[in-house]
Amino acid sequence: MKFREIFRFEFAYQVRRPYIWLFLIVLVYLNFLMTRDRAVSEALFEEFFINSPFLIANTTVFGGLIWLMMAAAIAGDAAARDAGSRMHPLIYTTSITRAQYLGGRFLAAFVLNALLLLAVQVGILLGIYLPGVDPELIGPFRPAAFLTAYAFLSLPNAFVATALQFGLAIQSGRAMASYFGSFILFFMGFFVASFLLYKLGLGTLVDPIGIRFIVEDIAHLWTTIEKKERLLNLEGIVLTNRLMWLSIGLVSVAVTYLGFRFTHRLGSTSRWTRLSLLFRRPQVVREDATNSPVIGIRASTPIWVPVIPRTFGFGMHIRQTLTLAWTLFQTIATSWAGLALLTVIPLLTIPVVVDQMESNGVPLVPTTTRVINELTAPLSAELSRWVIIPALLIFFAGELIWREREARLGEITDAMPGSEWAPFLGKFLGLGLLLVAFTTLQMFAGLFAQAILGYNTFDVPLYLKILFGLQLPEYLLFAFLVLVIHVLVNQKYVGHLVATITYVFITLSSLFGVDHDLFVYGAGPGWSYTEMRGFGPSLGPWLWFKLYWAAWAGLLAVVARLLWVRGREEALRFRLLMARRRFVGSTPWMAGTAVVLILALGGFIFYNTNVLNQYLTVSEKKERQAEYERRYERFDGIPQPEATRARLHIEIYPERRQAEILGSYSLINRTAVAIDSIHVAIMPGVTTGTDFDRKATLVIADEDHGHRVYVLDRPLQPGDSLRLDFEVTIQSRGFRETGVDPSVTSNGTFFMNTNWFPAIAYQRPRELITATDRREHGLTLRPLIAFLNDEEAYTDRGRGMTLDVVMGTPGEQVAVAPGNLRRTWTELGRRYFHYSTQAIGGEWSFFSANYAVHEAWWEDSDDPGRAVEIRIYHHPQHTAHLDRTLRSIRASLDYYSKNFGPYQRESLSVVERPGNGTGLHADAGMITHGEGFTLWNPKDDGRSHDHPYAIIAHEMAHQWTVPYAAVEGAPVMSESLAWYYGMKVVEHSRGPEALQRLFSYMWQPHPYSPIFRGEPLLRGLDPYLSYRKGPFALNTLSEYIGDERVNGALRNLLEKHRPVDAPLATTLDLFRELRAVTPDSLQYLLHDLFEVNTYWKLETERAVATPTKTGNWQVTLDVETHKVVVDSAGVKQEVPMDEWIEVGVFAPDQPGKEIEPLYLRKHRIHSGRQTIIVTVPRRPARAGIDPDHVLNWEERSEVNIKKVTVD
Amino acid sequence: MTLKITNISKTYSTGAVQALKNVTLTIPHGLYGLLGPNGAGKSTLMRILATLQEPDEGTISLEVSSPDSGHVIDVVNQKDEVRQTLGYLPQEFGLYPKVSAESLLDHFAILKGITTRRSRQVVVEALLRQTNLWDVRKQKLGGYSGGMRQRFGVAVALLGNPKLMIVDEPTAGLDPAERVRFLNLLSELGENSVVLLSTHIVEDVSELCTRMAIINKGEIIHEAEPLKAIEGLKGKIWRKIIEKSLLPQVELEHKIISTKLLGGSTVVHVYSGEEPVGFESVPPDLEDVYFSAMAGHYPQRAGLQPK
Repeated sequence: MKFREIFRFEFAYQVRRPYIWLFLIVLVYLNFLMTRDRAVSEALFEEFFINSPFLIANTTVFGGLIWLMMAAAIAGDAAARDAGSRMHPLIYTTSITRAQYLGGRFLAAFVLNALLLLAVQVGILLGIYLPGVDPELIGPFRPAAFLTAYAFLSLPNAFVATALQFGLAIQSGRAMASYFGSFILFFMGFFVASFLLYKLGLGTLVDPIGIRFIVEDIAHLWTTIEKKERLLNLEGIVLTNRLMWLSIGLVSVAVTYLGFRFTHRLGSTSRWTRLSLLFRRPQVVREDATNSPVIGIRASTPIWVPVIPRTFGFGMHIRQTLTLAWTLFQTIATSWAGLALLTVIPLLTIPVVVDQMESNGVPLVPTTTRVINELTAPLSAELSRWVIIPALLIFFAGELIWREREARLGEITDAMPGSEWAPFLGKFLGLGLLLVAFTTLQMFAGLFAQAILGYNTFDVPLYLKILFGLQLPEYLLFAFLVLVIHVLVNQKYVGHLVATITYVFITLSSLFGVDHDLFVYGAGPGWSYTEMRGFGPSLGPWLWFKLYWAAWAGLLAVVARLLWVRGREEALRFRLLMARRRFVGSTPWMAGTAVVLILALGGFIFYNTNVLNQYLTVSEKKERQAEYERRYERFDGIPQPEATRARLHIEIYPERRQAEILGSYSLINRTAVAIDSIHVAIMPGVTTGTDFDRKATLVIADEDHGHRVYVLDRPLQPGDSLRLDFEVTIQSRGFRETGVDPSVTSNGTFFMNTNWFPAIAYQRPRELITATDRREHGLTLRPLIAFLNDEEAYTDRGRGMTLDVVMGTPGEQVAVAPGNLRRTWTELGRRYFHYSTQAIGGEWSFFSANYAVHEAWWEDSDDPGRAVEIRIYHHPQHTAHLDRTLRSIRASLDYYSKNFGPYQRESLSVVERPGNGTGLHADAGMITHGEGFTLWNPKDDGRSHDHPYAIIAHEMAHQWTVPYAAVEGAPVMSESLAWYYGMKVVEHSRGPEALQRLFSYMWQPHPYSPIFRGEPLLRGLDPYLSYRKGPFALNTLSEYIGDERVNGALRNLLEKHRPVDAPLATTLDLFRELRAVTPDSLQYLLHDLFEVNTYWKLETERAVATPTKTGNWQVTLDVETHKVVVDSAGVKQEVPMDEWIEVGVFAPDQPGKEIEPLYLRKHRIHSGRQTIIVTVPRRPARAGIDPDHVLNWEERSEVNIKKVTVD
Repeated sequence: MTLKITNISKTYSTGAVQALKNVTLTIPHGLYGLLGPNGAGKSTLMRILATLQEPDEGTISLEVSSPDSGHVIDVVNQKDEVRQTLGYLPQEFGLYPKVSAESLLDHFAILKGITTRRSRQVVVEALLRQTNLWDVRKQKLGGYSGGMRQRFGVAVALLGNPKLMIVDEPTAGLDPAERVRFLNLLSELGENSVVLLSTHIVEDVSELCTRMAIINKGEIIHEAEPLKAIEGLKGKIWRKIIEKSLLPQVELEHKIISTKLLGGSTVVHVYSGEEPVGFESVPPDLEDVYFSAMAGHYPQRAGLQPK
């Protein structure tokens, strides 16, 4: 009864609070928006219903995240309202039990939260079923989709969060402590789960929110069909996760219950103080009146208060501001949340940074650039781990603005002299000091992490520049905003709510239909820093935007000051009255200055982004793409001449960020008909002049869509050719909304022809791709990539071109273009480089920087006299891998030319691209790599995986890539083959142990997590299939039929498809070649590996050895084996097996020696249990089936090998 | 130094309660008592004077006389000028629990414009000694008793030698000795500043206030010097000790201003121009003044504009 009354009262009390309804509205609205814009799904595949269980679960996770951050007030209020309102003596002295009191309150909070989270589902429902959604996107209504998302995600989360929030608020007696509970969960999800424990496989388990185990894991693991149909189920890791967090919730409830007493609360003594009191001398508060020698009253006690001169005006305000700033800094720095910010986060940052200084087990050099990259994130990066900082800032801002009033000191401080500027700026500065302290500690955390990793080049100035100069202002601007919000809203919970929504708006502004950064507080183009480019041109626009926002902050400050509540009058009428009265003296001037600055800076930015440069919103860009297709798609595939030769003269002026390109294409009509008009595609953002060497009339000049059509006076007859002359001027004018294009920059110019050069014919890559976009613009849907059997795509190939380039660049720089370097010379202080090449494809890269050039030669041992010039262009400081790169290149040239035919070119360039990425890219005769590549830091101990070596071998293999068609399976043709080649180079040049280390590297689930379902390899598109499954499948095959046969098949494939008139290869051709070299007895394996998804479950149950009379040992193995095929919908089916699998018996390990197989031979193995008996000459230690994981490399479970027991 | 309150009215939008109706008062320097029951509008008036609330209508001016020249501060519109000479002790306030008295007082001293460290030390020490908190200055305020908090509040109010002291029901949490000491202190302050003390305890006013006003339901119903007011009631207050059961009877016949229980019987005070039968004359005290005023036996004050 009492329990019911406590529950009823609490529920009824809270349900009448306006903020509950505000939370409700916000949740419904935001989830409506998220569903509508499918922000969540945009990053994922496109073709499923917006009411698919997967998308509903996804949106539920994000909705829950917003709920977590804003609705902590509910549990906090239920737990701490009595203590906060000082009503607790009345309640505590009634005859209720702890269980009734806590239980009723907790249950009320939980029920409220659970009901509130229904708003998430309501928002999703409205998003789906209110008019305005393409009906094709809506699948059949399935209540279970909503119910499972609610029951498996929202409800457990509500329980855990309420339990933690409630517990913390009870402990501290303060409702706000509940936000700390939210923070802990948030922190677990974003920081701990995603970064700290991710590698250990614990990430999925310790994420309380679902970011990892729904949004990331399922998004990756479920096939498209599953995403469309499959219901979220409580099984596997999801079940474990839910159970674990429910238990944590229960523990929290228990701890709260056990720790709670109906006792007097000493002020707001926190646990810390209570803890510290244990170690301190008990403090007795002495009542002086009783101790004082004078008892009674002496009317004559003279009152004497010294008369002290006081300062008013500016001096006092400064003093007040500084005092407040310092006091408040101390207060929040020593609070729970402050300690979290200033100790926990920097301390956790150290292991996070250390952890991130390797990539998939390969160490990276922890350069300052790289470490800083881990320490910084733009404010709007809502999925970065640093989203914690804005969350904390919102919390601190509330605490600061409400500090006096919550301590019930407001009336005293409000009656003190001085304007409202002092408290407002004091609070801002206090928060600013906290951020400065945090930033300083983060810097030390970074330095410390570097020291731990043994890196001693501490670049403190760079830390200062970036952390204090670039990252801190970002936080300060946001801190300012949330303070102003709390001032204006003047209701703490609603303030948190508004601040949270504001943050959501900042991070997802495009979801609200706001694209331009001029309208998103604090936003602007980001900065970038690389060792080659430095900050490049990124700082200017960054600064202009930040100044603009600082001016806004100034105006907001004036508004906050004017509407600052001082005293008892909180009604808007009085606040406006006060504002009018306060709008005197310097305030109007400040406001005016701020407005003028906003207009001036905003105008300047607008001039740059929208006048000097063209600004298009995302939807405008899409509309242009659609319009391009609508207008010109009918010209797709019409007879057009083909370029056979390009002559280019490129002048680069890095300091002016300018480039001039004079060029010509020789075009030939290879078709059977005369061509009367020529379609020229023009690239956006550059000035392009085009002309022909014969009379042609420009009939369409559609500059917006980049399409020109020339009608030739005299049609181009079959076999006839003409020349297109063009002139392209690249001149960066001011800056764009996205910043400055760094393609041409003082050091580190890099661009490709596809960025700027005109091209012939209709450009299919310009079309919209995703189904939604196409549907929205009334275009027919098209597959992402042509189907495997689309034979038309096989013939769509260029014949290669001759490229002849002269590049001019300032005297100190080196320019690089594809091809052989013919000549360099100097003219008027500029250096010129002449490159030329033949049979090059359609993508050409151009570079200019202060490169150091490392030159070497490779001579073909089989064909003396044939030599390849190797030129490595690198940043002068980035020399770590020069030797290794060269060795790998030479080994690759040796192996590949021997096995797959001669290298087709005279030279090979390796060029460092500006940018911090580690990625490499292979073009004809050229390998480019990001600066990050030079940061791989393999140990040269002969026992570690030499990643740069392996990856160069892989990139080298691309020089032998079979010309392949852009159909399903294309990435397998390109990447799988190149990785298989790379494996072989590593094996042959560095030995089998090096190959095993490469395997270990590739077996890791990162960066490509395994998919055990989906398309078979022949139609593979996913990186896991192309970068992992494909090479391993080829490797498995080579283990069975031998390298020579596989290599022979691949060489055949290459030779068949290399001729320019041959069709392009597909995985079907690959499969055919492999089938040709595979004996009949193993054809099943080829099918298992390529045509279906097959998994072998191979388990050794028992291994027993008995000595024989002859001194040998007989080993008896009990094995259980199964073969499972999973189809593209994810359905598993066991298939019978009867095939050759290796059985191995091994001698004991001997330190320093390799493990020696006593027996290694293939046996015929069928499904189910069976016994294998082999005889070995010596005493065995371990034995098992498929010991090298040739077949079950994907699971690599160690159940296949057992210790041998001796009978 | 004079505080002139003219025709102040204030209505709260919630519940449309008129908290103050046309209040007009002139408060000279000295200790001025504002006496009234709970909910009479005392705190509203005090907060308006302390710049924390806005009157709906009316003006308040603080006439500052200095040896050379005087000037007038408009309390409603020149809040900051008022705050520079204001000392305010609210009826209810809290303190940061984790700070020591000394450092919080020092903090407030800065906020009040005492910027040099040396003078702050002097002032803080003097005030902590005056309020008998010197020995416990290092202790955290969270451990202070009600009286100690109240005295700390006084110390804060006294910072910066205020010429206008507004103290709202300050004696509530004080023990008898503290209370008297505190009132003494206020009275001494009143020697050269305006000290306005609001209270619902008659003794607070009777002992030390040079002038007083009685407020009820937002209206000033009586303004006087306590001694003169008592004087004015001479011969008008009569007393009778009766059985409790007779009270309704007596109420019908006489204008009762107060009844008190005394040792099982009921002591009735009535207000009457002539001697009622069976009553004895008693010398009036301020309580009688208060209850007479509350019972409506005073005519509206002369000089008070009718509404």
